[in-house]
Amino acid sequence: MSLQHSEVIRLDLPARHAYLHLLSETIAELLRQAGASNETLVYNIQLAAHEVCTNIVSHAYRNRQRNEDRINVTLTFHPQPPCLEIELHDNGETFDPELVPQPNLSEAQIHGYGLFLIRHLMDRVIYTARSDGNYWHLVKYLEPGRPQL
Amino acid sequence: MEMKPRTVGNVAVLAIEGRFDANTAPAVQQWLEQATAAPGARVLVDLSETTFVDSTALATLVSAMKRCQQGQGAFALCGLRRPVLMIFELTRLDKAFNIFVDADHALAVLNA
Repeated sequence: MSLQHSEVIRLDLPARHAYLHLLSETIAELLRQAGASNETLVYNIQLAAHEVCTNIVSHAYRNRQRNEDRINVTLTFHPQPPCLEIELHDNGETFDPELVPQPNLSEAQIHGYGLFLIRHLMDRVIYTARSDGNYWHLVKYLEPGRPQL
Repeated sequence: MEMKPRTVGNVAVLAIEGRFDANTAPAVQQWLEQATAAPGARVLVDLSETTFVDSTALATLVSAMKRCQQGQGAFALCGLRRPVLMIFELTRLDKAFNIFVDADHALAVLNA
């Protein structure tokens, strides 16, 4: 890995689909600085973070449509062991992820892949509902052979 | 995102350049609803220049495929980049769609 120290980037995004590409681009740049160049690895992390944000825009804030709705994102690269930690917070409605059905992979479905992708693309996914909104904590280790958590 | 529609023989082809996600899917969905509306429609979505596909895009494609199948038509994808193909494999949607390496191979089958 190129970076030998922790690197932190904070984003404060309007909760709208139109701005989510900024998160993808920021993740790609941070991972490039860190020396993580595997295209699929970068894509998987981008997609997992994007799916959390899409969930926030489409579900947590679905009944609000307020211009001040935000998504706060903190990206932290840790060098030892190399990993990317992604923390996301919103002030929208909470939900119980256990009530979200797993997609039936034996047949093509129109809905239900978002949470499935988040869980399968990252090494650690923790969702916490608090009085002030939703907190997501995602971790992906950047070197092969790291055991799944 | 840029949409590049064309017709080759009996096949309506849509090439999608850039991000195909929750922000851009409505425009693709609108095109696909029209393209798959007629019975027997033959539709190809070219993803060779598509850099990002999310779950909303997957839902858009599954919906179009099912609509096409209900009308006894044919629906196919081509040109998936490696990271995108791996998402299809993870969700096992690679088993549900007809996926071709590129547009030439897809059109040879769809126009046969």
